[in-house]
Amino acid sequence: MLKYIFRRIILLIPILLGVTVIVFGIMFMTPGDPAILMLGENAPQAELEALRERLGLDQPAYVQYGLWLGRAVQLDFGRSIRSGRPVTREISARLPATLELALLATLLAIAVGVPLGVLSATRPNTAVDHAATVAAFGGLAMPVFWQGLILILLFALVLGWLPPSGRLGGWQYYVLPTITLGTSAIAAITRMTRATMLETLSQDYVRTARSKGLPERSIVYRHALRNALIPVVTVIGLQFGQLLSGAVITETIFSWPGIGRLAVDSIRAKDFPTVQGAVMVFAVMYAVVNLFTDVLYAYLDPRLKTRYS
Amino acid sequence: MRRIVLFIAAAAFAFGGAHAFTLTVATTADAVSLTTHATNDQPSARVMKQIYDTLIVQTEELELEPGLAESWTQIDELTWEFNIRPGVVFHNGDPLTAADVAFTLNSLRNPEIAAPGAFILGFVEDVVVVDDLTVRVLTSAPFAPILAHLSHTATSVLNERVVTEAGEDYGTEVVVGTGPFRFVSWEIASQIVLERNPDWWGGEVLPERVVFRPIVEPSVRAIEVEAGAVDIAYGLELSPRDAMRARANPDLTMAETPTLSTTYVGFNAQKAPFDDVRVRQAINHAVDVEPMIDAILEGFGTAARGPISDMVFGANLDLEPYEYDPELARELLAEAGYPDGFSAMVWTNENPIRIQIAEIMQAQLAEVGINVDVQVLEWSTYLADTAAGAHDMFILGWVSVTGDADYGLYALFHSTQFGTAGNRTFWSHPRVDELLDLGRTEADPQVREAYYFEAQEIIAEEAPWVFLYLLLEVNALQNNVTGFVPHPAGHHRLYNVNKN
Repeated sequence: MLKYIFRRIILLIPILLGVTVIVFGIMFMTPGDPAILMLGENAPQAELEALRERLGLDQPAYVQYGLWLGRAVQLDFGRSIRSGRPVTREISARLPATLELALLATLLAIAVGVPLGVLSATRPNTAVDHAATVAAFGGLAMPVFWQGLILILLFALVLGWLPPSGRLGGWQYYVLPTITLGTSAIAAITRMTRATMLETLSQDYVRTARSKGLPERSIVYRHALRNALIPVVTVIGLQFGQLLSGAVITETIFSWPGIGRLAVDSIRAKDFPTVQGAVMVFAVMYAVVNLFTDVLYAYLDPRLKTRYS
Repeated sequence: MRRIVLFIAAAAFAFGGAHAFTLTVATTADAVSLTTHATNDQPSARVMKQIYDTLIVQTEELELEPGLAESWTQIDELTWEFNIRPGVVFHNGDPLTAADVAFTLNSLRNPEIAAPGAFILGFVEDVVVVDDLTVRVLTSAPFAPILAHLSHTATSVLNERVVTEAGEDYGTEVVVGTGPFRFVSWEIASQIVLERNPDWWGGEVLPERVVFRPIVEPSVRAIEVEAGAVDIAYGLELSPRDAMRARANPDLTMAETPTLSTTYVGFNAQKAPFDDVRVRQAINHAVDVEPMIDAILEGFGTAARGPISDMVFGANLDLEPYEYDPELARELLAEAGYPDGFSAMVWTNENPIRIQIAEIMQAQLAEVGINVDVQVLEWSTYLADTAAGAHDMFILGWVSVTGDADYGLYALFHSTQFGTAGNRTFWSHPRVDELLDLGRTEADPQVREAYYFEAQEIIAEEAPWVFLYLLLEVNALQNNVTGFVPHPAGHHRLYNVNKN
């Protein structure tokens, strides 16, 4: 098992390298000049050239990339073109906000999604099941920006229970962004739990358990759910990865100082060092979550363990 | 221990009186940096305005008053001498000297620093220290609007020693000015906290603390102020519907101001059919601006009569806006050889308001036979391609930040300014070139005004633009906030704001 984990971590290196080459290539090929974006629409040519020189943008692409990579392996990601801050500082200032929100949203999604899925599966085609299905599809279909604004309107403006936006300390600031970010994950987890539970409940061993006269509660939760959860864990892992990197809209609506917004703002400003840094973080987080999911999978399903040794 | 703290808190409350309050401001975006060496963007300027001072102060009425420069004299055509206000100290206790001022202005122009606001001092040849409290600014050519330029936040006076010692950390970790508030902390993308500078040379500073919160979504900014979570919300005009709702809210007071910004449609005047003045005039007659202002801006704007905002020095208020007259437009088109109209492209960036303007224009121009295709471009591509002259028509805005006609006209209509420098229409006129040069060098304000009036008449007649509208800036305040006077350039002063 350890060998497997180690191999996966080593494999991360070429993946990250590939990611940086692709990101650099895309940034380099898309039109637009960071110097013009910084100096504005009316900057004189001489100033543009001076700035390009200062930022190293007058060098050929491969030189720019090489210089960046040389420093990056020493964990020096350079300074943001836009703010002049070290990229590591830009990222470390925002990463906690993103991690917190993704973690809370995932926990919320599990806490609501799994029981709802079980409820649906144990009462298939009843009113409860239909209601859960409609709610899940609604959650998946609802645009995040709309849902976020409606929640703010209702809970901050009409009822006045929660602050509209920001992350200024205090649990109140976490409630609305967590719900907004977690909604689609709740829906995905509910649907997945329902499907796998239905399948599991029709398995022979469940029928055997029933014929032995075990109480229904024990059948559902002790025998069926444990097995049904295996594919659900994959979904949870994937969702968590998505929430880490895909929270841009939620972060924007709630003025949440996360890394998604940093990435988008930096792409707009062609702030290459910051984009590279942020993408590296996304890639590492995604890879780690995937690895963790796989390991958890093996733990939940002992049959898989042999494959990893 | 707790008792002592309580006692101190109670004493502070008793003696601090009504003025110990925090003013929370919802602003449109986080500052990029708090040094003029790194940025010249509006959200940063809004914070820097509180921390720093400039040699000259431009009031909310756009009057120029003494700031860190107590007085000044023009020694000859190319030399200005400024006397620095004695006794001014930086937030760290250092006294302000002429050397700091010379450092500020010279470093802003230093190509190695490549400051985004360097163009504000494009006219400067050198800045030299005469004595501890006197500096001379030498210009490369006579430059009349010099005082307006020295009031711009890009020329905020820095502390040479601190800037040099802090190196690359200056502006994000270390920030020291002479202004009414000093820098306390910056939680990136979350809040910037400033506190009162009790020793400010400019007088009493009312708020104990100012907190700037970047809230990017205009709808959420409006809700923040409606819910009472912030005291002031800036920039609600960016979402006119929300601005309307805030205006109707009895708990809020609105502070609206005309801005120095003009929104326009630029033609490519070197490309057929827009090289024909009749075609450009026809389009000006075919576009009806009022419905755009009503429907898109919800009334938060006024139709532009010419290229610069009415508030700018040198604006010609006698210009008549183009009348909406599709019949006349058709005649002009026929005269120009396009009786059946033509097809063309109008470009805009991803700005929802501009996209809607382009769509209304599309419908209006269809009535005179001009078939317009609307294309939305990503911002950096948009700037690059319009600077290269690849366009037919484009929608853009221009802010005359210094409040002087030179700034609002020179870069946009002078033949030396084609492309990135600002003249993206590639239109030029020898007399306008001459007038703009004269206006830049003439010292007498009345004579300058006459030059600019004539230049604007020619520009309006020649119509290298469709003159669209002047935007209003809409800010909402809690009813208990008083003393807030919005500045047309958008960087509002807060030292005088009170909260009851």
